[in-house]
Amino acid sequence: MSLVVDIIKNSGTSERFDRNKLHKSIVAVCLSVRVPQGQAESIAHSVCDAVIVWLQDRPEVTSQDIRTVAGKYLKRFHPEAAYLYEQHHKII
Amino acid sequence: MGIPISLATIAFAALIHASFQLSVSVLTILSGHSIGAEHSQEKLFRLTTSFLFGAGLMTILLLASISFIILNIFGSNTPQIVWAGSCGLLFGVAVSVWMFYYRREKGTMLWIPRNIAKFLADRTRKTKTSSESFSLGMSSIVGEILFIIAPLIISGLVLIQLPPVWQFVGVIIYTIISLLSLTIVWVLIGSGHTLGRIQKWREDNKYFLQFTAGAGLIILSFFVYVYEILGNTVGGI
Repeated sequence: MSLVVDIIKNSGTSERFDRNKLHKSIVAVCLSVRVPQGQAESIAHSVCDAVIVWLQDRPEVTSQDIRTVAGKYLKRFHPEAAYLYEQHHKII
Repeated sequence: MGIPISLATIAFAALIHASFQLSVSVLTILSGHSIGAEHSQEKLFRLTTSFLFGAGLMTILLLASISFIILNIFGSNTPQIVWAGSCGLLFGVAVSVWMFYYRREKGTMLWIPRNIAKFLADRTRKTKTSSESFSLGMSSIVGEILFIIAPLIISGLVLIQLPPVWQFVGVIIYTIISLLSLTIVWVLIGSGHTLGRIQKWREDNKYFLQFTAGAGLIILSFFVYVYEILGNTVGGI
């Protein structure tokens, strides 16, 4: 059974939760701190699984919630990547 | 001012310029996105080098334009009122840097309006070619104009008093030193340092950088005031 959760974005619009999108963003941030491709994929897989468990019984969350929760789980696997993930909108 | 003191003043103004962080932030995002998007090391090098050259060219153009405008309006013998006004501008910018440069939030968020910051960040992430990166480097310098205008004006005022060859040397010195922080980040990224460590250092030291930029502007203001205003009034240093 697929997970149906609405994500409210910062702009106020909403979209369906997309595991691939989250996966890609985690892989990208892992690669940007020079984690090897295979390990980045593995970390992203684990983080996405954890986020999906967290999303159960939550029909609607904000994109910031997703980012915070994903960052929290990512920190367990790679603190430096998690730091950069959390800094996403705070660099400029 | 003699040539050595003029060049030292230009170098100090450029050092203050180098402590401003918008270009460094944009370069950090550009590098992070490029590595994260699995671009080759060669492409990363091309993008970041183009960015650096774009920033350098815009710095040269701004400094040359400001010098040209000042020279055309006042001639090479600038009135003291202009020096005094420039000192006031330096002081005002110094106070603004201390009060507004960094937002009081986590990260290295700068003073610029959030919608402009978002546009700049999105534009940086979409940058894929060297020419885009070059333009981005130029834009990032223009984006910081409110703060770098003060050291640029002082450098312009000092430059127009120099002989032509030394004016050229002054422009080169200013450009090279003002690009120091960008160059350091460029070298660190190229040599395999991770962006997480670079960004962490920037966040941990942001208030120190903010303080030194403001203090540098005040010191420069004080020096120029004493040398150009008091020195000439009292009898010449």
